Amino acid sequence: MSRLLLGLMAALPLLAQDARSIVDEAQKRSRADSQRYEGTLEVRDAKRKISTKRWVYERLGSAGEAKAVLKFTAPAEVKGVALLIHNHPDRASDQWMWTPAVARERRIAFQDRRTRFFGTDFTFEDLEERDVDRSTYKLTGEEKLDGALAWKIESTPKAEARSQYTRIALWVRKDTYSFVQAECFAKDKLVRRIRYTDLEKVQNIWTARTLEVHDIERDSRTVMKLEKLQYNIPLAAENFTLQALRREQ
Amino acid sequence: MMLLRLITWPYVRKHMLRCLLTTAGIVLGVAVFVGMHTANQSVLYAFNQTVDKIAGSTQLQVTAGETGFPEEVLERVQSQPDVEVAVPVIEASVQTGLQGQGNLLVLGVDMTGDRSLRDYDLNSTEDATIDDPLVFLAQPDSIILSEQFCQRTGLQMNGKLTMQTMAGPKQFTIRGVMKSGGLASAFGGNLAVMDIYAAQMVFGRGRQFDRVDIALHRGADVNAARARLQTLLGPGLQVDPPSSRGQQFEAMAQIYSMSANITSLFALFIGLFLIYNTFSIAVTQRRSEIGILRALGATQGQIKRLFLIESGIAGLFGSLLGLGLGVLIARGIAGYISSYLGEMYGVAQRAEEVSADPRLLGIALFLGVATSLIAGWIPARSAAGVDPVKALQKGRAQVMSEGENRARKIAALVMLGLGIACVFAGHKPLFFYSGYMLSVLAVLLLTPALCIWLSRLLRPLMKWMRPVEGALAADSLLQAPRRTSGTVAALALSVALVIGLGGIAKSSFEMIREWMDTALNPDLFVTSSESITQRSFRFPYEFGDELRQVEGIEELQAVRTARIVYQGTPVMLVSTNVESIANRVNMKVIEGDRETMYRQVSRGEGVVISDNFALLRRVNTGDMLELLSPTGLLRTKVLGVVADFSDQQGTIMMDRELYRRYWKDDTVNVFRAYLKPGASQSDVRQRLLDRFGAKTRLFVLTNGEIRAFILKITEQWFGLTYVQIFVAVLVAILGIVNTLTVSIADRKRELGVLQAVGALRNQVRHTIWMEALAIGALGLMIGFALGAVHLYYILEITKRDIAGMRLEYRYPIGIALTLLPVMLGAALLSGAGPAESAVRGSLVEALEYE
Repeated sequence: MSRLLLGLMAALPLLAQDARSIVDEAQKRSRADSQRYEGTLEVRDAKRKISTKRWVYERLGSAGEAKAVLKFTAPAEVKGVALLIHNHPDRASDQWMWTPAVARERRIAFQDRRTRFFGTDFTFEDLEERDVDRSTYKLTGEEKLDGALAWKIESTPKAEARSQYTRIALWVRKDTYSFVQAECFAKDKLVRRIRYTDLEKVQNIWTARTLEVHDIERDSRTVMKLEKLQYNIPLAAENFTLQALRREQ
Repeated sequence: MMLLRLITWPYVRKHMLRCLLTTAGIVLGVAVFVGMHTANQSVLYAFNQTVDKIAGSTQLQVTAGETGFPEEVLERVQSQPDVEVAVPVIEASVQTGLQGQGNLLVLGVDMTGDRSLRDYDLNSTEDATIDDPLVFLAQPDSIILSEQFCQRTGLQMNGKLTMQTMAGPKQFTIRGVMKSGGLASAFGGNLAVMDIYAAQMVFGRGRQFDRVDIALHRGADVNAARARLQTLLGPGLQVDPPSSRGQQFEAMAQIYSMSANITSLFALFIGLFLIYNTFSIAVTQRRSEIGILRALGATQGQIKRLFLIESGIAGLFGSLLGLGLGVLIARGIAGYISSYLGEMYGVAQRAEEVSADPRLLGIALFLGVATSLIAGWIPARSAAGVDPVKALQKGRAQVMSEGENRARKIAALVMLGLGIACVFAGHKPLFFYSGYMLSVLAVLLLTPALCIWLSRLLRPLMKWMRPVEGALAADSLLQAPRRTSGTVAALALSVALVIGLGGIAKSSFEMIREWMDTALNPDLFVTSSESITQRSFRFPYEFGDELRQVEGIEELQAVRTARIVYQGTPVMLVSTNVESIANRVNMKVIEGDRETMYRQVSRGEGVVISDNFALLRRVNTGDMLELLSPTGLLRTKVLGVVADFSDQQGTIMMDRELYRRYWKDDTVNVFRAYLKPGASQSDVRQRLLDRFGAKTRLFVLTNGEIRAFILKITEQWFGLTYVQIFVAVLVAILGIVNTLTVSIADRKRELGVLQAVGALRNQVRHTIWMEALAIGALGLMIGFALGAVHLYYILEITKRDIAGMRLEYRYPIGIALTLLPVMLGAALLSGAGPAESAVRGSLVEALEYE
């Protein structure tokens, strides 16, 4: 799910050449051939009711063309439910949800990318990786965030990206080229704020161990923690197919 | 106005009961018209409301009748650039087992995208009430219920609800509650939402969807997008706005409208004669008043207007009462129609609210007042023509003038001749319906003459029964035909209406029984629903192989029935192994060669259609049918026409392979099982239930149970007919009471003289009873004859315009015989009150004039 970071970063290009370069560099620095982690997800709704889920995330392939599988492991009611993502550099990703109880996959239609990812504050679109070139970027300044200086970059998705967002404000730490915050706007209204904290260098890649998404309108928050994070591990390509999901049934 | 206050009002006050009885016909006519149509409209409105609420912001829907279509269609729809959201839907109506809650409409949707189309308005903070959206999708037992339903049943979040599934009754967990209003209020709140893939499993739908709901991008041209989608998907899938489902429903419900129109027309006709009768007598009774008015300078126009205004007021009063009564009875009728359509067509709607359409009320009011004015026209003209000098000569006006009588007879004979001529040109609706009207009018115009002829015939019998009283009663009828002819006409119309309705019911029942004998002859029916008309659940075809293993079963026929849309109307498609059916079933062949047609159908070379399909859609053997299937247009030849009562809108029978090829549907609704000789029906049934009952939702119905179900449905269909018969008899009785009340008042002097010259009270009483019986007998005789004509026409209308069913002409002799004591008894009872009033009245007052 830290790919979400990448996705958003990649979606955040820059205004001038500088802004784009910053985003490009941030992507390069976080690049890995594969990735695996176990995630914990806590959703706190407006009434502060908390629901927790765990999953295993695996990703294979280069940025923009990666394939990923996210499998829920807990609680028991959702164990086995999986999301398969095939990213494409030139178009929106293909996504399928696998539900073991009915032994069926459902395709997440392009039109549904703006809907929320199963009760979390992410949308399906937030799970995509996007090529740097699918947005334009503008450096709007520098700000201190969590004690560190960061570039503030405004990213505007191009029309062909057909994003739900009209613009995204990004904060990239100057010392590590890590994303530390993103504010997503729809028609100039802030709809979602994402914070990246607990930065840690894992296998030479700066990675935020904790992500917090705040849905402004609903006033609900989703906190995601990454555990047992590994990069560049051997993963079989055939595991990133619908057949593989069905086989595991 | 002054004349109304000075002349009319005192008369009305004096004859209040009679005035009320006079308006009864109008009241009932208007009430039936308003009641039936309001009920129909309310059911239609409820259906449209359900469709609207479920549709949400859906602009277009992709459907393929009831058969559904493969999942792949969804991606093709979603690929269209005009389409913003396209979501699949499955709809099913299921039983919950909760007492008094009726069926639950289950909507299977893909919640990942569906919420951008439908406002689920979930309680508290949206997803918080779908307790966990991921759990909702991951667990196929998840459902969302409406708050309204939860409140009614005491169910709560995370509670359990048992519903019928393909694997038998299964518990579902309530993982969401929708707030009242919007979608949640569809189907009267009896709405459940579940995941579409779980619904496919639960209802045995395989990999099919019922429909795809579409919202277009803002600003997209709906018609252009519709055309583009239609081109993309081909003719087998229909792309329509959600409102088109209402139009199809309307086609089903219009049978009731037609039936309501005929009954209302008859009731108004009866009312017309009652008013005509009462006003004719009123003119006679008020001759002296009219004479005085004329002598004082009132013009003929003023007198005519006075009577027309009176009849208009009577019509208005009766119509207003009728409107109120109609709205009241509409609720009951709506429930009835609603349950019938639900049972017969599996149409999801609940008519909870009944509201009358102001236009309908306006039409009813107009019809009531117009009927009354027409009825009052001739008496008003007579009143205007009263000679002031003759006005004081009592009694004379009751005898119809020879000239008038002759003119009516000639007019009647001309109409009769034209009516008969129209029969020969009856293939054209204009001539057919003109012939109907002319025949009825001819009989009604002949009624006064028939009254005299028949009274003469009855006189000896009446005299034989009661020498003095019988003769006096018969003479009274002979001397004053105008007084009784209106009532006799009303009575005859009522009897004819009963004969017509009874005749059609008799013919339908008998022919359905005959059809059941030939077509529904398997020993057992294995179905997926308690009712054979419900098609929410289906078996996989392979299930038949397991059933065949059961000891005692000799032959099994898999049948898939589904409603498809043919030229805008839902018709029934029956797919089965036609060769096997042809060996076992011997339906009456109307067109085609029995030997070859079934063989050709089983080779997929064409279809056999039902008689009513052929008649309603004007299709014959040899014609090509264009059927819309999910894989494209199927052009197929009609190879034969058979008498089949499976569906009111018509049936198309094709071979299973052809159906499977075009509809990509391999499911089955019913397995028809023939048992081996000597095998016991109950034993095999028990074996089936023991072997499959626990793991599969199945019902094993015996031949007798299926027949009883069909007869129950037919009985339900005729339920409203019985109400109409009751109304007809009621109006007839009111007519007799009215006539006799008027007759007694009119003959007060005559009856007084009788008593003065020594007639006993009992003799006077018996005279009036005899007169009442004679009126009843006259009405019955003319009514039986008119009923014979009416039955012919109503059977033709049923065939041509209502159900397309070729019902045989079978005069309902049993009903006619039942009517004899009912009508004569009612006549006698109606005469009791007036008879008592005659004998208890003041003799002095009665002889005042003398």
